This record gives sequence, structure tokens and C-alpha cells, in this order.
Amino acid sequence: MALLEVRELDKVFRRGARAVQAIDRFSLSVEEGEFVAIVGPSGCGKSTFLHMLGGFEPHDGGTMLLNGAPVRGPGPDRGMLFQEFALYPWRSVIGNVAWGLEVQGKPKAERIAAAERYLKLVGLSAFRDAYPAELSGGMKQRVALARVLAFEPRILLMDEPFGALDAQTRELMQEELNAIWQQTRNTVLFVTHDIDEAIYLADRVVVFTARPGRIKDEIRIGLERPRRADVRKSAEYMAYRNRVWDSLRDEVLKAREEFK
Amino acid sequence: MSAAAQRRAAPLSRARRTALGLVLPLAALIAWELSARIGEVPSYLVAPSVIFATTWEMLASGELWQHTRVSLLRALGGYAIGGACGIAMGLLAGIARPVERFYDPIVSLTYPVPKIVVLPILIAWLGAGDASKIAVVTAAVFYPTFINSLYGAKGVNRLYVWSARNMGAGPLRVFAKVILPAALPQVLAGLRIGLALAFIVMVACEMQNSRSGLGHLIITAEDSLRFDLMYAAIVAIAIIGFAGDRLLLWLRRRALAGQAIGKEGAHG
Repeated sequence: MALLEVRELDKVFRRGARAVQAIDRFSLSVEEGEFVAIVGPSGCGKSTFLHMLGGFEPHDGGTMLLNGAPVRGPGPDRGMLFQEFALYPWRSVIGNVAWGLEVQGKPKAERIAAAERYLKLVGLSAFRDAYPAELSGGMKQRVALARVLAFEPRILLMDEPFGALDAQTRELMQEELNAIWQQTRNTVLFVTHDIDEAIYLADRVVVFTARPGRIKDEIRIGLERPRRADVRKSAEYMAYRNRVWDSLRDEVLKAREEFK
Repeated sequence: MSAAAQRRAAPLSRARRTALGLVLPLAALIAWELSARIGEVPSYLVAPSVIFATTWEMLASGELWQHTRVSLLRALGGYAIGGACGIAMGLLAGIARPVERFYDPIVSLTYPVPKIVVLPILIAWLGAGDASKIAVVTAAVFYPTFINSLYGAKGVNRLYVWSARNMGAGPLRVFAKVILPAALPQVLAGLRIGLALAFIVMVACEMQNSRSGLGHLIITAEDSLRFDLMYAAIVAIAIIGFAGDRLLLWLRRRALAGQAIGKEGAHG
């Protein structure tokens, strides 16, 4: 069985008498060590799906099995990375990265050593004693990544992690994440609305339909790893890009109609 | 940027900022002193030099300290009880909706009522001693600390809590390690307002019903037209109030090391 098995997942948002089907019989399986990107128009329920998987939102039907066990509430076997970083401003960088291990009751020496190892991995050893307010957006997200990696979850759930960054920083962060992944080989579920990001990073791109969210398409990305930055200029890459965009385009238009 | 613009934008040095803040009080003091000496002011505007001399005299005799001590006991006693209750209940109401609903009507209704009005009732219950005054101060301090703690806890970034729970933190740890530090800036803001109110209400109580304390000193000095004494008591209140406020700001700077970055000078 795959590491993550999602079967026939349903989610309905209710406000008074109005009910909106946010996710409709959504199924997905993710293998150990696989990097899966989910793209979809805004409002399609892709973030909601990630929040349910994280255990923060209840689901209304279907099952989610991680490593064979049903998902019930939040837990450290799934590492969430949020668009807004969610670093604790009252803790230094090292304090933020070590906090997950603190929660797990690891002795101080061990958690500091682990935190320093992961800070080195994201290239921020020099900022170990800085506070989040002193860092740029890209640096903050690298700290947040180190914090999640440090408590060694079975799967990383990334909710548009680079969405709040400027275009240049975002591209550099994508390259950096690719390089880090090459070392750690984590299982990753990566939600984004950025097609380029999805193709460049993932082994498989899942396209969500406009609301109610369900799978429209799945595209395996055969680009060779490790991927260098200039893979984005290759014809192969452009072919994938056109393929994903053709699939996504109708859904984006549909989503736009709905908001009119 | 041109050199001139850079000069303009450069922040004032610490010494200059302090000096700038002293200009108005010093000018007022000098004008007051001069007009008192020329004799162009009514008798209740005693010259600052006379106030200073009286204050000094009363300090030396120990009389001022005696009144200050009882006043401090009342103000700080009520401050400690009211602040502790306000923070505890406010944080609880901030994280638990039913608790907030439970307290909201009574707090909203009684908040605008000046707490001094219950002094006669409290005297009937607790006697005319320190207890009734401490009780009024407690009530006055409770509101700003309660309300600020409530909104501090309520306004904690949802993702702070999520990310803690994601790591496996239980409710107690989330409260102690996430809600509490995240709400701390606003809790401290409530404590700062509460401190000023504690002194105000303490003096009001002592002016209304007391045989000791700085408020009592003010009212008896006024009655006997000893305006120099009255000002000495006012100076004492101003000094302890100012010292208390500075102490809180210092604590705040120490407690909020990471959160205060980039907000230098923004104390409130």
C-alpha cells in the first residue's frame, strides 16, 4: 500500500441553510519518497484538502490513511508548511527550529544539535540567534522548512509555501527546495497555483477541477533528477507546461465565471 | 538621497530625544516660578521652589513616606489582585467562547461605571480600612487587564496554534508556550493602563474616605489652605506613578525581545 491513501474524500461547507460542496469524492495515493504537486484554480479546495490531511479540518466522508492508519487530528507524522511561515516571533531562529523536538520531549543537547543540522541544510547557520522579525521573507520560509524537517515527519504538507514571496525569491526558493529534497528524499504533497513551480519540483502533478474539487488530470513529470535550474528552458519542460496548462485553463475560466 | 535629506531622516540621539521631551515641562516650571515671584498669580499656585522645599521637609520628617506607604499598599494590593484576576479570566475567556459569552454582558455593562461609586457599599461590607479601598482598586484594574488579555488571546494567529498542534503539542502546552507569549504584548498593555487606573482610583478613594494616604493628604491640605502640602502630595503621586510606568516598560522590553524588533519606541 502507498504511504498515503486518500479514498472518496468529501467536504461540505455549511453556512446556515447554504451548503457548498468543496471537495467531491477525491482520491489520491502518494508513494513513499514521492513529490506530488497539486495545482488548481483559486477556491477549488486544494488548501482545504491539505488542512483536512493535516487534521485541522474535519472531513464529511471518505478515508485518509497515512501508513495504514486513519488520520485523526493533527500530529507530527505530517509536517505542515504554511504560506505565512507561522514562525514564533518571540523565539530566536534556533528556538523556532528546535521547538518541534522540544514538544516531543527530546533532551536539550539533542534538539539543539538537530536544529543546527537542519539550519545548515537550509543555509541559515549564521542566523541561529536572530529573531524572525530580522529575516527576509525567503529566509523566514527557510527557517519554517528547517523547523518542519527537524521533527522528521513521514510526509511534508506544503500549502503554497512560496506564495507570499516575490518572483525572484520564489524561483530561488524552488531551486533550493529541489536541492534539499535531493538530499532528504521526503515524501511531499505540495499545493500551489503556480504551474512552473509544480512541474519543476514534482514527480507528479495533480490538477484539481474548479469547485467542487476533484481530480481532473494527473501528469507524471519525467524530467531527470537532480533537476538544474535551466531545465525550465528545455523543450521537454515546455511540453509538460503546455499539457498542464491546457488541462487547468478550463477550470480557471470556470472558477472565474463563478466569482462574477 | 541627498546629504541634507539624510541628515533630516537620521534618528535623534538618545540624549537629544530626552532633552526634547524636557523642553516643555522646564519652560512651564520656569514660567510658573517667575510669575509666582512677581506675584501675578493667585495664592493656590505656590512657587515650585516652595513646593520643592516643602516636599524635601516632609521627606526628611518621614511624614510624606508614611502617607506614600499606605497609598502604595492600597494601590499595589488592588493592582496585584485585579491584575491577576483580569489576566487569568481574560485569557480563559479569550480561548473559550462559552466563557467569553458568560462574562460579556456583565463586563460590558459594568465597564463604563466609575468604580469609585461602589466605595460606600464596600465600606459597609469591609469597613473603612484598607480592605474597601483595595477592593475598589481591584475592580478598576480588573477591566483593562481583562479586556486586553481577552483580545490578546483571541487574536493569536491561528497558524501559531496549528503549527504547535501539528508538532504534537497538547492544549496545556499550546496555552503556555504559544497563546501566552503571543498574547503577552496586549496583556502588558492592559497592565499598563491598569497601573495608571490603580493610582487614580487609590487617590479618589483616599480623598473620599480615609485618615491616611496621599489622597487624604491632598484633601486635608486643601481644606487648611496649605497648598504647598497639597503639591508635595501630588508630586509624590506623579513620581511613583511615573516610576511604576517606567518599570513596566522596562519589563516589557525585556519580555518582548523578539516581538519588539522594528517597533522601537512603540510602547503602549
